[in-house]
Amino acid sequence: MEFEAGAPLDRFSQIVAGQDWVASPLGPPEQWSPSLRTTAEILLRSQAQIILFWGPEFVAIYNAAYMPTIGDKHPRALGRPARENWAELWDDLEPLLEGVRRSGQAFSAKDRPFYLERHGYGETVYFDVSYSAVPEADGSVGGVLCIVSETTERVLAQRRLAESETRFRALVNASSDVIYRMGPDWSEMLALDGRGLLADTAAPRQGWLDTYILPGDQDMIRNATRDAIQAMVPFQLEHRVIQKDGSIGWTSSRAVPILDDAGQVIEWFGAASDVTVRRQASEHLQLVVHELNHRVKNSLAMVQAIAAQTFRNIADPEATHDAQARFAARLGALAQANDLLTGERWTGASLAAAIGLAIEPFRRDLDCFTLDGPEIQISSKTALALTLAFHELAANAVKYGALSDDRGRIAIAWSRYDGDDGPRVRLEWREADGPPVTLPQQRGFGSRLIERGLAGELNGTVELRFPPDGVRCLIDAPLPTEADD
Amino acid sequence: MALRILVVEDEMTIALMMEEMLTDLGHVVVELPMRLAPALAAAQTAAIDFAFLDINLDGVKSYPVAEVLRDRGIPFVFATGYGASGVDPAFADRRVLQKPFDRAELAAEIARLGQPPHTDHTPCSYRP
Repeated sequence: MEFEAGAPLDRFSQIVAGQDWVASPLGPPEQWSPSLRTTAEILLRSQAQIILFWGPEFVAIYNAAYMPTIGDKHPRALGRPARENWAELWDDLEPLLEGVRRSGQAFSAKDRPFYLERHGYGETVYFDVSYSAVPEADGSVGGVLCIVSETTERVLAQRRLAESETRFRALVNASSDVIYRMGPDWSEMLALDGRGLLADTAAPRQGWLDTYILPGDQDMIRNATRDAIQAMVPFQLEHRVIQKDGSIGWTSSRAVPILDDAGQVIEWFGAASDVTVRRQASEHLQLVVHELNHRVKNSLAMVQAIAAQTFRNIADPEATHDAQARFAARLGALAQANDLLTGERWTGASLAAAIGLAIEPFRRDLDCFTLDGPEIQISSKTALALTLAFHELAANAVKYGALSDDRGRIAIAWSRYDGDDGPRVRLEWREADGPPVTLPQQRGFGSRLIERGLAGELNGTVELRFPPDGVRCLIDAPLPTEADD
Repeated sequence: MALRILVVEDEMTIALMMEEMLTDLGHVVVELPMRLAPALAAAQTAAIDFAFLDINLDGVKSYPVAEVLRDRGIPFVFATGYGASGVDPAFADRRVLQKPFDRAELAAEIARLGQPPHTDHTPCSYRP
């Protein structure tokens, strides 16, 4: 094959020139038709990726630029029918080439996929292609000229980008976080997706601080963003926000700078999660701890008070032993009442539960106590006082009263009635069938606790009586109304 | 000198102990109310020289009682488990007795009688 004088002959052209064209169906170049020769010369000089399929067998002639796209098919493909070397995609390629050859109509496509084996394995690759007919002198179609441009890398990169974009959208949708974008200096909010928690910002705007941040918190936010901008580090802050409904919530917010190729911040991209419930729980815990501290001190003061009065004026060792036992029993009643109230979260308890708790340790058999009365809810403090007072009544009954032998029994009955200033309760402790009662010679702490202590606690009257047939305790007190709670 | 004392304390065991301590010190506890309404009535009408006032009466603050005592010119101190930090700023100049306390501390408070309450701002501390 000869080239025009002065035309650069590259190495590939020399290969074409040196090819054993006698073995090719095309025969030696001297015998090629003028049209084939001209077309071959044009493609060999071109920098574009071009292959010519000539004749009914689509014998391949291609240039150096095209060579990399077919990998190890070169050099065996040169001058050979296409079917021999494109066997793996012949079903796809032949109709395209045949269509152009028969109709003379050009075919073109962008990012056209082809299944190709060019490096010892099959892969799908992509090309922009333009196939056109090359006419012979007589007007018939001599071959198909294919100008191509491999786009595999671009297609795969676009696909990875699209997948990344899809994953990013999924991430944003999977999260319940508020998503926001800020300008480089944070003066402008580009967008905010409030997720129903905060008001949305759809278009870039200034003045976003007034929408989302309380006036008193704005300096804190400005300082935090300024620090992040200066140090070029993620912005991270847990702060209060004005929610969409106008209420105040808490968010944990974090934003990272997005940089351009020159390292300049284009925008800040952030997410903020709603931590309102956690903050509230934390504040509630603070309150609970404070209240617990108070209760512990109060309990210690009560223990001190009980001890001081239990061990008052004790002379002989036997009395000391007795007092120690009483002290332990009183602390036991106090602890039991605490358990009851903790179970009710210190919101109060029922009258029957408070009394039942106090008498339980003294219950000799099922019949020795009877409780009869309507359900009445009392405050925690009143329950505590009632438990302590009824503990004293029961302890006295075991020591001196109806429960000091095995026949006695105690009836506890209460009823509600309307007094002048509102609802009241009348309660009677009545011992019966025990040994004859004698008037106690001196009143101890137990009696004072019942008559003076419980009366004060209930803001009512408490009366202890000692008739021979059994001790009685009569209680009359106002019932707590809503206003008292 | 035996004083007539009002003790307002919502915890009955503590109220009884204070009554006993004050009785031992030679004073008379004229009233022992444990809720706001009876405490207010006692503060308004009872003939008293001194008062101990618990701040939290079953969840209700006792400041109305403090106001009545202040208006009547009756000296009083707060007694509370919350400590001085729990006192309303309006009564920040009043002494606060931290629970639990002992008889000597009660006696010391009473001994301050005659000193105007605003001359001494040091909070009394709990002595273990």
